[in-house]
Amino acid sequence: MLVTLDNRDLRPLYLQIMDEIRRAIVVGKLKPEDPLPSVRDLASELAINPRTVSQAYQELEREEVVYVKRGQGTFVSPTMKKNSRERQNLARALAKRTLIEARRSGLDLQELIASLKEAAAEERQ
Amino acid sequence: MTALAVQTTNLSKSYDNQSALDRVDLRVPEGSVYVMVGANGAGKSTTFKILMNLERPDSGNASVFGLDTGANGPEVRAHIGYVPEHYDAGYRWMTSARLLQHAEAFYPSWDSAYADRLVKSLDIRMDRKTGGLSKGEGRRLQLVMAMSHRPPLLLLDEPTEGLDPVARRQLLTLIAEHLADSPTTIVIATHHIHEVESLADHIAALNGGRLVAQMSRDELQKNVRRYELELPENWKAPAGLVATQTRTSPDGRDAQWTIIGDERDVAERLTSSGANVREAQPLAFEEAALALLSGERAQ
Repeated sequence: MLVTLDNRDLRPLYLQIMDEIRRAIVVGKLKPEDPLPSVRDLASELAINPRTVSQAYQELEREEVVYVKRGQGTFVSPTMKKNSRERQNLARALAKRTLIEARRSGLDLQELIASLKEAAAEERQ
Repeated sequence: MTALAVQTTNLSKSYDNQSALDRVDLRVPEGSVYVMVGANGAGKSTTFKILMNLERPDSGNASVFGLDTGANGPEVRAHIGYVPEHYDAGYRWMTSARLLQHAEAFYPSWDSAYADRLVKSLDIRMDRKTGGLSKGEGRRLQLVMAMSHRPPLLLLDEPTEGLDPVARRQLLTLIAEHLADSPTTIVIATHHIHEVESLADHIAALNGGRLVAQMSRDELQKNVRRYELELPENWKAPAGLVATQTRTSPDGRDAQWTIIGDERDVAERLTSSGANVREAQPLAFEEAALALLSGERAQ
């Protein structure tokens, strides 16, 4: 599955789809020049409004993550490498969500970073 | 401005002095999936009947693609695929196959290959007499009849009612494909919001015959927030604030209010009333839609 939606996620669906495509590129499931699923197929697979898929694809096109070949569909931009800025974008989005959660729990940045390092160290053991 | 598929102005209707619709102004943009929510008796089915010209409004008017529904009944109906709230087999002696043939004769745009596909996908047994169908099977047959002539407007009254979870998912998938293949405006009336929320891009809330709110999904996301508040002593909510789900801690110092309105505007009014806004969180689609229904204006 290229795109999985989480119904507990409160962000608009098109943003979730955009992030899922970015993730697929970063982990290498989608490579430069790979085709994206057609709007119809993805809408059908997720049982969502095709307009939502179009909106996500248009935004990704605006950000030059993908490009449209007339009559052929949407493709991953040739400049999209695994280690490109998309990695940064993805990390930043995750950081933002985590920060919001941390603030809700009354944690400051230092505490959060320290705990992240601790948790990673525990995992390595 | 986008063209409107459905527009009503001041639409009112009563039955036995009971108001079913009270000056309703619907605006359904062309190509949208417009979900009407509300309790039973909120006026959703009455709206559909007026759009189909099966009922006449007491006052106000309704139009479909610019055609007045009262003056152009047959033409308007030709543009609509309608799934009514209750399944009524009509010709109870007909088999499902025969009923579909019968429907086909009415619509020049009937797509029989598509009808066959829908029948297969929705698992309809064509040799059954329509009089003996279960509620769920009747509903699925109605959906085939409504969709097979690919009308530019679908009016679906509780389309998932009586469907099991597998059939429900199948229906949503079919509607998604239908929207991709033929540009269609869909108005869905339901009180099971979560069952159709993945398709919705507009929402309308009807309460006791009145249209409480109608907005796009983006606007809903922006305009309904849950506010975490720190309150001063003897705090009084700013008058005019539309809120619901108001909870206050026993000592009266903390509160959680779901408030409808532009976030900046709401936050400003809260702040000038002496409350400290700790946080304003967006809500899930269904919760936000329910908030529209239950929001009450502070005095």
